[in-house]
Amino acid sequence: MEIKKPAVAGTLESSDCQVTVEAGEGKIDFSLDSAVINQYGNQIRKVVFETLSNLGIDSVRIAIVDKGALDCTIRARVEAAVFRSLEQTENLPWGGAIRS
Amino acid sequence: MRGRELQNLKRFLDKMELEYDEGIEYTVCVLNEEYQIIGTGSVEKNVIKCVAIDPAYQGQGYSATILSALIQYEFDKAVTHLFIYTKPKNLDMFADMGFHTILMTKDILFMENRSRGFESFMRALREETPEEALRKDAVIGAVVANCNPFTLGHRYLLEEALKRCDYLHLFILSDDRGAFRAEERYAMVQAGIRDMERVILHRTSDYMISAATFPTYFFKDKLQAKTANCRLDLELFASRIAPELSITKRFVGTEPGCNVTRQYNEEMKKILPDYGITVEEIKRKELEGSFISASRVRSFLETREYDEVKQLVPEDVFELLVEKGRP
Repeated sequence: MEIKKPAVAGTLESSDCQVTVEAGEGKIDFSLDSAVINQYGNQIRKVVFETLSNLGIDSVRIAIVDKGALDCTIRARVEAAVFRSLEQTENLPWGGAIRS
Repeated sequence: MRGRELQNLKRFLDKMELEYDEGIEYTVCVLNEEYQIIGTGSVEKNVIKCVAIDPAYQGQGYSATILSALIQYEFDKAVTHLFIYTKPKNLDMFADMGFHTILMTKDILFMENRSRGFESFMRALREETPEEALRKDAVIGAVVANCNPFTLGHRYLLEEALKRCDYLHLFILSDDRGAFRAEERYAMVQAGIRDMERVILHRTSDYMISAATFPTYFFKDKLQAKTANCRLDLELFASRIAPELSITKRFVGTEPGCNVTRQYNEEMKKILPDYGITVEEIKRKELEGSFISASRVRSFLETREYDEVKQLVPEDVFELLVEKGRP
């Protein structure tokens, strides 16, 4: 599934992360800003890709500005950004895929 | 914001040595228990500006709250490529919030929220440029123009410029606030220069004469006396754009009317030579005693004096104007 409409979820506050999604070019274009990119960059990337794959998203430009978020926070923020982008506000399948 | 609230905001910004920009469309403020402003930030189009936190409240994460709210606002209107125009001392603060430096000088810091935004802009410019025009021994010139719409005056400027260089990069403004939209203007220029082989056409994107680099340009009718605030635009052109394309000459038409444009040209003459770029001013073309200008064409279009329009624009452009049925 593709992302069409830009959306954002999360904040820049400490222990949170800001996730922005926009239309991609047929692939997952991932960018990450984090003070702990050397320590946890790969782990954050893994969580984001897993979450997107669960949601069935394969084309998106996704940017994470991490402020020390835990995996569960990252997952929730990525899901929220995708749901907002798809304008799905009810019956949210947290942790799962969107069935259309 | 308006009334008392706006007054309070202006007073706060004044204390923080910032000036309220008239183009601002959205502002957030953080208040203390006494309802006094302790932090603020604003947005104009895709630019975040006038961000300030009272020093007594710094280091408590208020800038993150403000930035988060502003970014949310921008994304809600589907604006995703964001810029910040600020002071160099704020580098760490904004870098921590996912912004990347495009240009930093002694007194200006210009950032964007894409890690490779400027690089991909430059890559696109190079891809649009034929190989011969990247050769070291060629003399390369540049013109930056709005072409709102494209006139015989623009054409004359290009012809004169071509006499003084081997290849000419022509940058068309990408801002959509003028009478003609960016893509319409681009199409008109394309039609108007079809026979000019040595002209290389580009879009300016957000990096040249845009809301981000030169905000006052778009309010030039309102602001007569104010300073043009165009240093950033010229520094960015001279230090990062021109060298990549080996541009050593920038051509401008003489500016009889607009104060802001005239100031811009004057600043250009001061700044560009420091970077090894000469500025060549070319006298505007006249027709029956008065200068050809895009604003004249627009006023003839408004009054539907198409015969007059026809005398001021290239034939192909006239056809596009008529086709569009403008106004």
